[in-house]
Amino acid sequence: MSDLALAPFASAAPAKGRWRVVRVVAAKEWLELSRDRRLVWLCGFVVVLMLAALAFGYVENARILRERETAAKADRELWTGQSAKNPHAAAHFGQYAFKPLSPLALADPGVDAYVGSAVWLEAHKQNETQFKQARDGGVGARLGSLSLAFILQTIAPLIVILMGFSSFSGERECGTLKQLLSVGARPRDILAGKAMALIGAIFALLAPAVIGAALALFFFVDRERLSLADQFVRLGALGAAYAAYLAGFAFLALGVSALAKNSRAALVTLLAFWLANSFVAPRLATDAARAFAPTPTWQEFRAGIVQDKSKTFGHDDSHPGFVAFRDETLKKYGVPRIEDLPVNFRGLALRKDDEAGYAIFDRHFGALQSTFDRQDALRVAPGFLFPLLALRPISMAFAGVDSRSQFDFATSAEAHRRDIQNEVSDNIIHFAHDNTYVAGPELWRKIGSFAYRAPGAGFALDYSALPIAALFGWLALAVIFAAFAARRLRPV
Amino acid sequence: MSSAFLAGLRFEARMMRRDGAVWFALIVLAGVALFALTMGSSRVASQQAAIAGARADETQRLSRLQKTLAQLQEADAQGKPAPEPPPFRDPRNPIFMGGGPAAAVAALAPAPLALVATGQSDLLPPAVRVTTGSKDSFLFADEIDNPANLMSGATDLAFVVVFVYPLVVLAMAFNLLAGEREQGTLAMSLASARQPAAALAGKLAARVAAPIAAMLLAVAVGVWIFAGWERVASAGFAALLVVVLLYGLFWAALATAVDGLGRGSAFNALTLIGAWVAITMILPAAINSLAAFAHPAPSRIDMVLAARAASTDADKARDASLARYAQEHGEAGRPAGGPQEMTLRRLATQEAAFQRVEAIVAEHDAQLARQRDMADRLGYLSPAYLTYQALANIAGSGETRYRAFLDRIRAFHVDWREFFLSRAKAGASLTAQDYAALPRFPQADDELTARAPAGLARPLLGVALPALILAVFAWRGFRRSGI
Repeated sequence: MSDLALAPFASAAPAKGRWRVVRVVAAKEWLELSRDRRLVWLCGFVVVLMLAALAFGYVENARILRERETAAKADRELWTGQSAKNPHAAAHFGQYAFKPLSPLALADPGVDAYVGSAVWLEAHKQNETQFKQARDGGVGARLGSLSLAFILQTIAPLIVILMGFSSFSGERECGTLKQLLSVGARPRDILAGKAMALIGAIFALLAPAVIGAALALFFFVDRERLSLADQFVRLGALGAAYAAYLAGFAFLALGVSALAKNSRAALVTLLAFWLANSFVAPRLATDAARAFAPTPTWQEFRAGIVQDKSKTFGHDDSHPGFVAFRDETLKKYGVPRIEDLPVNFRGLALRKDDEAGYAIFDRHFGALQSTFDRQDALRVAPGFLFPLLALRPISMAFAGVDSRSQFDFATSAEAHRRDIQNEVSDNIIHFAHDNTYVAGPELWRKIGSFAYRAPGAGFALDYSALPIAALFGWLALAVIFAAFAARRLRPV
Repeated sequence: MSSAFLAGLRFEARMMRRDGAVWFALIVLAGVALFALTMGSSRVASQQAAIAGARADETQRLSRLQKTLAQLQEADAQGKPAPEPPPFRDPRNPIFMGGGPAAAVAALAPAPLALVATGQSDLLPPAVRVTTGSKDSFLFADEIDNPANLMSGATDLAFVVVFVYPLVVLAMAFNLLAGEREQGTLAMSLASARQPAAALAGKLAARVAAPIAAMLLAVAVGVWIFAGWERVASAGFAALLVVVLLYGLFWAALATAVDGLGRGSAFNALTLIGAWVAITMILPAAINSLAAFAHPAPSRIDMVLAARAASTDADKARDASLARYAQEHGEAGRPAGGPQEMTLRRLATQEAAFQRVEAIVAEHDAQLARQRDMADRLGYLSPAYLTYQALANIAGSGETRYRAFLDRIRAFHVDWREFFLSRAKAGASLTAQDYAALPRFPQADDELTARAPAGLARPLLGVALPALILAVFAWRGFRRSGI
């Protein structure tokens, strides 16, 4: 930086002068960044990669959406096409609920590949979602696939590090830092200027991603089913979260660069942190979460349900619960025999048993989700030090592809299953006169198909308080660290 | 081996011994590898516990059924028949018992070196309950896990080898020439050796051998501690060492080739970091995306819908046949409903669904095979991808072993169905002798013995060949540098 450009700083009014330092430093940094052909090519490559990832996401999501819509229609036809049968037999045949795809899954596929896409809604039993896409991918697929989120979470911080690692150390090695300080520029203002330039570069990197995602949303979102405004709010939140994440890296790079012996030491330190944040921390945090909040095995989970269900009578006429309910019902209606009841006792028993089952399923599935929530919270806890742990849940939540969104879908599907059971049992209660009773297509048509409305962006916000706090904690820590490093800035 | 080579090696080794950063890097690498093997060992224990749980459940279910059967038979023998249980709870009913309550557990025990790589083992359940139903009803049951855990992946040796180990190799080897040139010691080093090339090769060997030896040692110690001596003495373990060695040599050759370009340390560091990002992160992700784009994984939902369509069709067919029967014999001749009718309907449904689902599963498998073939071919672009696959195969957590398991399930499913359906079609009831003679899922010998894992030649060649090409480039680069 030339002495000529900085000469008036000392004579200017303090506040105005400081702002000028910030602007001049920012302009100079920006110019240098834009003149570094390697960085420009690298950024260009990353932008192309991001757009390619968005295109892959768009095509893949459109295909999955088509598949699920077709499957939902086919399943509806199968349901309504059942022959005349006992309504409870139809309830056993059940329906399938297909998880609609969140449009922003084209940017962040989240846990979608690991949760399954459909759930069987059958009598007496709440099922887990089936058919995880990840099962079919082969072992190489565990190394990930190209997505906008993957690039922004792992590659973009590396770009920010490469932009910022020599910000102070490079100037110190060239001797320009000494000059800059000697003309009265305060380290804090130099830091602010450099940070401004880096944050500007981050915005330049994020802009194509956000614009690309916005365009993809515009064409992808089915406006009859989803609110485009809600999707844009989600996208805005994602943009803010990624900006905070990358800005933290910018301040970290500046702080390390200010404190490091030389540029090489700064680069090595920052790369070690990037590696720990991108690869080591997520795995270690997951191992710790599994250890502190263990997930039951399928066998244990189902055994718990079976044990509780054994206290209900199901189809067992000799079960003490069944006998007690029969006696209670006869007493209530004031008749001596089941045949004398004005309603069908089999239907009443089914409803009673279903209601007992609902409480059991709520308890067990709720406890399982609580375990997952505890694991997620444990994983997020170190997020203020390793920001990917904080960013990832925010990104998945606002993209509508986190385990909470999945639980909301599963809960809604279960509510529909209960509607089917209740409708079927009511039909038996009021219309079945004996065990040969059958219902026809009019009943199957009367029972609707599953229609899921995904919750709005507020839902994501409600369940993201901890990761948002951790992410902003990370940004605040990085800013404080950079300010601290700037105070200890050595000119040589 | 020339004395210049040994002198160079000894000199560099002495320098490295005095460098605290080198010790730190090597100890961290070995520590992380040992930690990963610890995690692998606990994962294997969980899988074994899940299998034991499934087997205990199977034993319990069968003994309950046999007890109920004995009670029913005793009551019959005493001339005081017990009330008829519903068919789905009647241990004599072959179609209902084979379809669930008596289901057989088919388990895939962890392979001898399963602690090395998680692979697909966290996604594919280690035990499956085989029934007489179509495959959609039992083959796709999943073990429970938090999806975010599955997405993050596990800390295993495969992760350490593929991602962390190359960074340590690169850190050691990235600036042999450039560093000496920048410090001004290159000319002196070359002048002081009678065979400069051999001396430099010795120095390079010391730098490369340290991380590779540390890794191999950590792997050997870890496997010995957590899996036992017999695993260390197995062919699978030898294959593991070869994979680790070759992968380390690939990165060493790459670092040397870049160093041989004659640029500065900073250039080398940035280029190699870029190469690491490309080879371990971007290329594998791009390979997976391209393969999925070209050959999208088929929807498993089709299979379920086919089974359900078969069920409704079978229902309709049976209704039609009952209607015809009633027409021909009059309403009085209509076969009784109730348990027998339920059993026959279920039999018809299962038969119809089985055929359709088999056809769809075969079609899906063919499509997935096309996707995997493409990913495998593109995998040659990334030695990291190949190494990861090789480690999963050594650990028995890749698709090769799981596909073999599925083939065995397929054969067993046929036997299982035959056992129950032949009795159901003949209208026979299950007896105590039948329960004693239930088909058992065969335990494969290779699960218990340390046989050399198959399918390693391709990935090993895929890593060795680029390593060799890079070594030639490195040699030419060093020659260009005037050595």
